[in-house]
Amino acid sequence: MSQALVDLVRERFPDAKGSSHRGDEVVTVRREQVVDVVALLRNQAEMKLLRQIAAVDLLTFAGESTGGGALASIEVPAYALEKKPRVEPRFQVAYNLYSIVRKQSLRVRVELRSDDLKVPTITPLYRTADWWERYVFDMFGIEFVGHPNLQRLLLYPEFVGYPLRKDYPVRKRQPLVPELDFPDLVRGPGPGPGGAGVPMSQTHVGRQNVDPDAYD
Amino acid sequence: MTEQIQDSLAVEAELPSSTMTVNLGPSHPAMHGTVRLIVTLDGETIVEAVPEIGFLHRGFSKSSEHSTWHQVLPYTDRLNYVSPILNNVGYIMGVEKLLGIKDTERSQYLRVLAGEISRITDHLTCIGAIGLELGAFTVFLYAMEARELLWDRISELTGARVTTSWTRVGGVASDLPPGWEQKLRDCLPRVMELTGEVDTLLTRNRIFIDRTRGIGVLSAEEAVDWGFTGPCLRATGVNYDVRKAHPYLVYDRMDFEVPLGASGDTYDRYILRLEEIRQSHRIVLQCLEQMPPGPILIDDWRYALPPKKEVFGSIEGVMAHFKLITEGIQVPPGEVYVYTEGANGELGFHLVSNGKGKPYAIQVRGPGLPILSALPRLIKGHAIADLIPIFDSINMIGGEVEQ
Repeated sequence: MSQALVDLVRERFPDAKGSSHRGDEVVTVRREQVVDVVALLRNQAEMKLLRQIAAVDLLTFAGESTGGGALASIEVPAYALEKKPRVEPRFQVAYNLYSIVRKQSLRVRVELRSDDLKVPTITPLYRTADWWERYVFDMFGIEFVGHPNLQRLLLYPEFVGYPLRKDYPVRKRQPLVPELDFPDLVRGPGPGPGGAGVPMSQTHVGRQNVDPDAYD
Repeated sequence: MTEQIQDSLAVEAELPSSTMTVNLGPSHPAMHGTVRLIVTLDGETIVEAVPEIGFLHRGFSKSSEHSTWHQVLPYTDRLNYVSPILNNVGYIMGVEKLLGIKDTERSQYLRVLAGEISRITDHLTCIGAIGLELGAFTVFLYAMEARELLWDRISELTGARVTTSWTRVGGVASDLPPGWEQKLRDCLPRVMELTGEVDTLLTRNRIFIDRTRGIGVLSAEEAVDWGFTGPCLRATGVNYDVRKAHPYLVYDRMDFEVPLGASGDTYDRYILRLEEIRQSHRIVLQCLEQMPPGPILIDDWRYALPPKKEVFGSIEGVMAHFKLITEGIQVPPGEVYVYTEGANGELGFHLVSNGKGKPYAIQVRGPGLPILSALPRLIKGHAIADLIPIFDSINMIGGEVEQ
């Protein structure tokens, strides 16, 4: 069934590569083609449901077995990663598409080199791509060119690094985020505690600029 | 007359017209866990809402990549913590798909049975919360009583109310305890009676209808575009249920219907969940009728732990046990996307194996994430009081959305 979808893509994009594993059909396309391929599938194969955008970092894919169980917390040390030959293209972005009407699914895969982590956005085609692209950006640092609001989704803006990359250590600690100036809750914008030279211990949240009589 | 109109215009013109920004959450009783909504209000009308998520982010994918395939199982309990068995089943079916194996027939029935009980508990939680937050506390108590009856059965079956970790590659962890089936048969009528009470209290209740009908409407095309699945999608009239579209386990042998809504509003999402409880009840009864005796775990020591008698009594048993525990199941390299019908919609796992004992990459498609992303669209233009029933009816679960 789904082989027809791969053929549909290959008809228009002859250099697309089709593959299959355990019944999952995959078509690998070049990065520049991804918007056109997804639009083709959306419009001509009724693949209106974008299930998920996932990504894979292939850095340690061919690595030696590190065991599991009691050894589960042991990971590949940084020096071992540096010695490894570079895997290119290192990243894959996978778009899991589905057609509710035809009950067919297809995965569109894009391969990316680590020195150029940019993919054109598909947010004009699917509204739901908005958060999935933010998710992949958040976790892998892959930039979706043209995305209207490409910010971290689950993590906070001050987070350093991209946690689902294979060279991000599982036990890495993040720096503490300095407390930000925040507006006075009563009077509106202005210097808050911890800012403008006011020591934290001498301030009371939201009240330091307020006439004490105002509460009586 | 004209002067009067001009006067009233003058009065209106002097009213302050600036918008106000209100923070809802992350710790707000109606926010079900930890989501923050930055809502811009014009009077009582919601002009804009920006959800901020991630307060419950636990690094599911990263932790999983440093565990063996079986050690991931407890993490999946915590995805949707109101129907954990459905997550267990969804994940383990992914591993089985990578391995190219199937579990035993009895195990398939057990998975469906426990999964449908979990679906009932999930829907009861959602409906109870809608009632509670619209002021119908009785509804909440009825729903919770019914839910606890089922969670007692789940805990007798798996050993835990919510952290079940009950499935295994090639089967399930435990068979039905003695007398359990009769206990379930005894408590199901009470569960359905309580569900009926909820139905009579809410479905034709004028206040409830006024609060929910026509609120948070989404058309079918838009819902698909936003990536909706599950009850929220079916409330718009789109007939997509993984159990029917791509029957897995023994769903093809079950006689049940997929209820559909028409208008895609909050009321439809409520009534749909209520009907799904009844359908799940039918499936549970059919499972009990049809379930064949037999093994609950495959007898292949490459994937399933040997029975304890063999572990303590034979060298092969010890070796198989040792290899499975220390190195994990050796899953051949490959990449699959596996999808099952979770309580909130399509629960997907994108799994990659590199042939070693641990998952190389796991990413989960929590059905709640696309649905939550559409929340600003759903609540825009409604009064702030409508935010609560809309947010309840999409049944956002922090665990699966924020991973």
